[in-house]
Amino acid sequence: MSSHREAPSILKDPLADNTDTYAFVTPNNTLTIITNYVPVQAPAGGPNFYEFGDDVTYQINIDNNGDGKADVTYQFRFENKITNPNTFLYNTGPIDSLTSANWNRRQTYSVTRITRRGTSELARKLACPPCNIGPRSTPNYAALADKAVYKLPGGERVFAGQRADGFFVDLGSVFDLGTLRPFQNLHLIPTAAADGRDSLAQANVHTIAIEIPIPRATQRDRIPRDPMAQDSTIGVWGAAYRQKSNIRDRDGKPSFAGPWMQVSRLGNPLFNEVIVPMSRKDEWNAVRPHQDSAFAKYVAQPELARLLPALYPGVFPNLQALTKDRADLLAILLTGIPAGLIPGFQNFTGTTQADVLRLNLAIPPTANPNRLGLLGGDLAGFPNGRRVADDVVTIELRAVAGATYPLVDPTFTPDAAVTAIEDGTFNNPGRQFLDKFPYLGLPYSGYDVP
Amino acid sequence: MEPVTRRKFLVTGSVGAAGAATAFGTGWAMSAASADESALTQDEIDAVNGPLVVQVKDPAAGELEVLVGEREVVFTDKALAARLLRASQS
Repeated sequence: MSSHREAPSILKDPLADNTDTYAFVTPNNTLTIITNYVPVQAPAGGPNFYEFGDDVTYQINIDNNGDGKADVTYQFRFENKITNPNTFLYNTGPIDSLTSANWNRRQTYSVTRITRRGTSELARKLACPPCNIGPRSTPNYAALADKAVYKLPGGERVFAGQRADGFFVDLGSVFDLGTLRPFQNLHLIPTAAADGRDSLAQANVHTIAIEIPIPRATQRDRIPRDPMAQDSTIGVWGAAYRQKSNIRDRDGKPSFAGPWMQVSRLGNPLFNEVIVPMSRKDEWNAVRPHQDSAFAKYVAQPELARLLPALYPGVFPNLQALTKDRADLLAILLTGIPAGLIPGFQNFTGTTQADVLRLNLAIPPTANPNRLGLLGGDLAGFPNGRRVADDVVTIELRAVAGATYPLVDPTFTPDAAVTAIEDGTFNNPGRQFLDKFPYLGLPYSGYDVP
Repeated sequence: MEPVTRRKFLVTGSVGAAGAATAFGTGWAMSAASADESALTQDEIDAVNGPLVVQVKDPAAGELEVLVGEREVVFTDKALAARLLRASQS
């Protein structure tokens, strides 16, 4: 998946598992950043419904000067509260408000903003909404969740709680020896053509979303207007941290000591999932983006680009002949796309190689988004930031297959099959996004989705 | 939790894994190198209100790491490292 359970250590720690990061320009001179955790939630999760970790620090990090280090950080910490110690139930009646006495297990959180100028707590005791249980327990879920969107003193808006996972992928197909639709019949082990199946079609996730006034994220506290100016682009990544030591006492209660250690991070989707070899995935989760040059060789010579011609004999001859380092992928994933390759666009942040989601803030949102983002001629989409509906699996598959190599070598002709590559799950009719903050759809109800 | 004496800590501490105690003030790490055996003040005790974890990172070099609150302090004390090592094997 994008980064769901993508590394050997973090798959054992879902509460800290950063699954997706989105960043895109939104109306009224704001940008919205969304980070997701706690992957692959079965909606019927009672009686212990899903929640954030009260022993995890979650951060949204923004680099605004191209060094791969955070210049603006929004930090989120959660607290749990049990209001009725005498019941095993999550709720003992309908939850019709965020202060409902019927709601037994609830979470609140604080938001802290960290910059070089200092640290300020923007809010505390903000309530998360409950999980979407069903029509009796959470009878008007949309209205209830709306109440959990808060305006902060700096102009930010935040939401933290359960949402429908916005990521879509035919996982069962991709990891069955790289089966790509619609090429199943051309695979080394051919099968008949079939429609894509969205592996996360009915899965929930826990979302931290923040809408930020753009001047609060940029280098000189201003709104970038020139897309070709280098300081118009920021780099974004989500990350989770646990304290270095965890001691489990005889009463079963854990206690913690030591500094916070990074255990999960995510900038570009699928980076750790399909670029980094399994033997180094835990290491990648532990190091900071500015240290990513250590992983550049896997971008320059991606394993997947070698697998495609082998798995589909005769389908990708031009890709098979392409043995040079993939300067196109190095730019897209690690430095940003420099000026001169795409008319009117760049999101280059300098020579520091860092896997961050680069967003040129001077590119306004479009009323007609193309799911293929830059590949579809839409400068406001991935890999210029990432919107919730961008088809990042198809975009990255096509890029690795050679679609973007002509950016750095105009003599290269991508194989004809490249434009036919599809993940096959974009049109899942059950997946709905919101046209307003926090953009990801309402979580699936446990009553409706077992 | 009942305060833990240094002697008790040495007995219950572990090497390579985490050993926890609660009685050491934040200044303990700096004074350990001089083998300060003086009694802890109440302020020193109160300064640590959660677990204090010591990891012997390199027994031969005497490199110790103390985890307390949200901090870590790394220092060298060959004698203490040796006593912890031997205590773990007793």
